[in-house]
Amino acid sequence: MTLAARKQAPIYTGTRIPSPIPSVLQVDPVLREEGDILEVNFGPNHPSTHGVLRLIVELNGERVEGVEAVIGYLHTGFEKNMEQKTWWKAITYPERIDYLSFQINELAFVLAIEKLLGVEPPPKATWMRTLLCELSRIHSHLIWLGTGALELGAISLLWYCFRERDAVLDLFELVTGVRMHTRYFQAGGLAEDIPPGFFMECRKFADVFPGRVDEYEALLDRQAIWLERTKGIGLLSAEDAIALGQSGPVLRASGVDWDLRKVQPYLAYDQVDFHVPVYFNGDVYDRYKVRMDEMRESTRIVQQCLDGMPEGPWTVDDRKIVLPPRHELHTSMESLIHHFKLVTEGYRVPAGEVYVAVESARGELGCYVVSDGGSKPWRVKFRAPSFVALEATATTVAGSLVADLIAILGSLDTVMGDCDR
Amino acid sequence: MRKKGPGIFEQELGDLESKIGLTTVGKAVAWAQGHSIWPDTFGLACCAMEMIAIVGARYDVARFGAEVFRSSPRQADLMIVSGRVSHKMAAPLRQIYDQMLEPKWVIAMGACASSGGMFSNYAVLQGVDKVVPVDVHVPGCPPRPEALLEGIVRLQEKILAGVPPAYEIRGVAS
Amino acid sequence: MNFADVPRLTSVTEERGETTVVVETAGLREASEYLRDESGFNFLADITATDYLGWNERTVAGYWGHRGGRDINRPGSWGLAKKPEPKPKRFSVSYHLVSVVSGARRATRVRLQVWCDEGESVPSVVSVWPTADWHEREAYDLMGIEFEGHPNLKRILMDDDWQGHPLRKDYPIGGEPVRFSGAE
Repeated sequence: MTLAARKQAPIYTGTRIPSPIPSVLQVDPVLREEGDILEVNFGPNHPSTHGVLRLIVELNGERVEGVEAVIGYLHTGFEKNMEQKTWWKAITYPERIDYLSFQINELAFVLAIEKLLGVEPPPKATWMRTLLCELSRIHSHLIWLGTGALELGAISLLWYCFRERDAVLDLFELVTGVRMHTRYFQAGGLAEDIPPGFFMECRKFADVFPGRVDEYEALLDRQAIWLERTKGIGLLSAEDAIALGQSGPVLRASGVDWDLRKVQPYLAYDQVDFHVPVYFNGDVYDRYKVRMDEMRESTRIVQQCLDGMPEGPWTVDDRKIVLPPRHELHTSMESLIHHFKLVTEGYRVPAGEVYVAVESARGELGCYVVSDGGSKPWRVKFRAPSFVALEATATTVAGSLVADLIAILGSLDTVMGDCDR
Repeated sequence: MRKKGPGIFEQELGDLESKIGLTTVGKAVAWAQGHSIWPDTFGLACCAMEMIAIVGARYDVARFGAEVFRSSPRQADLMIVSGRVSHKMAAPLRQIYDQMLEPKWVIAMGACASSGGMFSNYAVLQGVDKVVPVDVHVPGCPPRPEALLEGIVRLQEKILAGVPPAYEIRGVAS
Repeated sequence: MNFADVPRLTSVTEERGETTVVVETAGLREASEYLRDESGFNFLADITATDYLGWNERTVAGYWGHRGGRDINRPGSWGLAKKPEPKPKRFSVSYHLVSVVSGARRATRVRLQVWCDEGESVPSVVSVWPTADWHEREAYDLMGIEFEGHPNLKRILMDDDWQGHPLRKDYPIGGEPVRFSGAE
């Protein structure tokens, strides 16, 4: 099929979204009468559900006839907790929501604060944020690949992917001091300057990594079992994907060219050159290909950020939001007062409501913030891409086997922290 | 009090051996148990990522005998509670703990499992020791893989020294 | 984009580059269908319920960290305490809509908003955007807003037998008081 013909051919006709409840696949009543339906609980503690997800699955032999997802086993009350903290302290919370691409969550919240404040961070902070977000995306896709392949039987990939993941976390530790949950972004820029030696290490990683991605792809792409288990499984058409609110790799594997980094560029994405992978079959294999290609594109972005990193300050110069440098506290009274006010009370953000959407590794991560003009948020809500991805379980799983259920869940790439918040 | 470090715990309890009444068979059994603790796959949240990292080649928990993560609690000795436990998850957690066969140990990994962590709110259980008796608490948010390995090593030292599992010494916190 | 033709429209405001379209709560489904079919907003990104209980009760100093500094000509912008603008009702439900077109290089977004009080119900938009299913369940679970017409309105994040709606402002934060902090 030519590319144009492939684009036009729909994945399936009509809609497969169950009715009346879009997120619950219900067993056909005729089958329930005649057939032998077994109700199985894929409990919250299961090695293959990527966290604490509970699926109530109704099986007819090996075929899945009914499925309902029960979530909430990791509900942490982030949103209410953030209302109790000042704006500065609240930035530590969003990271733990999606604990695989943690810096992108921080970014969404910090961008929302900056939008309310009306400040523009300096170019060095913007480019460094872009670089770290792309490294977060690579980190997330590596864990997805390692655990996803593990569940389908390609066990050795877990060790390879975690080797690269440790390399990425070494880079984070070099810059920020911690491996995970780095808390490096703040409203106005970065928390600290970039330490020397980082650029060289990052360049070494970016030179080696595309070769590694090729290795992983070679391990899987020509493996008959992998192809058998992923091609044609878990179909989702473009219309159903948009109706179900899917975004990110799931949407792009269904043929919709929609990436927030291109459509509404934030940070430095409009100044770097990268390609958005789009595939048209809407199955598990295409979602895997989208993520593999995204890892390569992210490496390209990282290399361009390293080449184009500007010099200059790493935070905005406004002492009403950013702490003054410590050496000034010895000599300047104003700096001391600013430091005191910022640490005890926090900066105040003008009243209003904003919604900022960024492209996380899973799709559109939105942060809706309402401020009353005070030093604490009034309401923070995260639009979690994994929450929405699980709504598509019922549509993609219809009529598949139990083993395919595992493959499909892996391809939706859900993180339960992100889903339950 | 002497400095902390690997092996010190074992030395400190060395003189208690006569009081606890370990025999050579007991020591052999303890040696076998301590060097082959099989954890249960109980990864909940961010700490689970660092727990999977110890399985990787760099941190390699296999050298301590604990690389076989069993999915079924019936086959596991150790439950590493890695991540925040919500009230909804507390009941399945206790159920999994009850399904494990004795002797069984629990490591509360991270700040959230030890005490609720940064989430002092309606949704999170303030410390997993409210539902299961805990042997070792590992601090950190998330703890580095080396910190979790230190926790597993300390647990090994406890087992080798003959300290009974937590459910024999103490119950759950109130 | 012109939102003047949206049925049951109450107001349209634009702030910081975002458009908020407020419609009458009873006409929400009509307005949603119009926005989906005529204006092309085929993607519902998020439904957020916000509780404004206590919004206008405490004053906030009008001194904010802003690059433009303090404007002595604008009352309340230089240190005098003032109250934020009062809101029409207790709860607002915001629907963030996007117009997704494959291959587009511009995103059109709008926030559709309705207001309701305690005990009032909001029409469900599951028939318009199927993804609203779980978002509305979450708003019901955490805020207690009833969505009339929802096929499966039950708790999603909290336990099935949980009492109360945690994200409301009159629901306590919970947790344990920290020792010696004076909070005990």
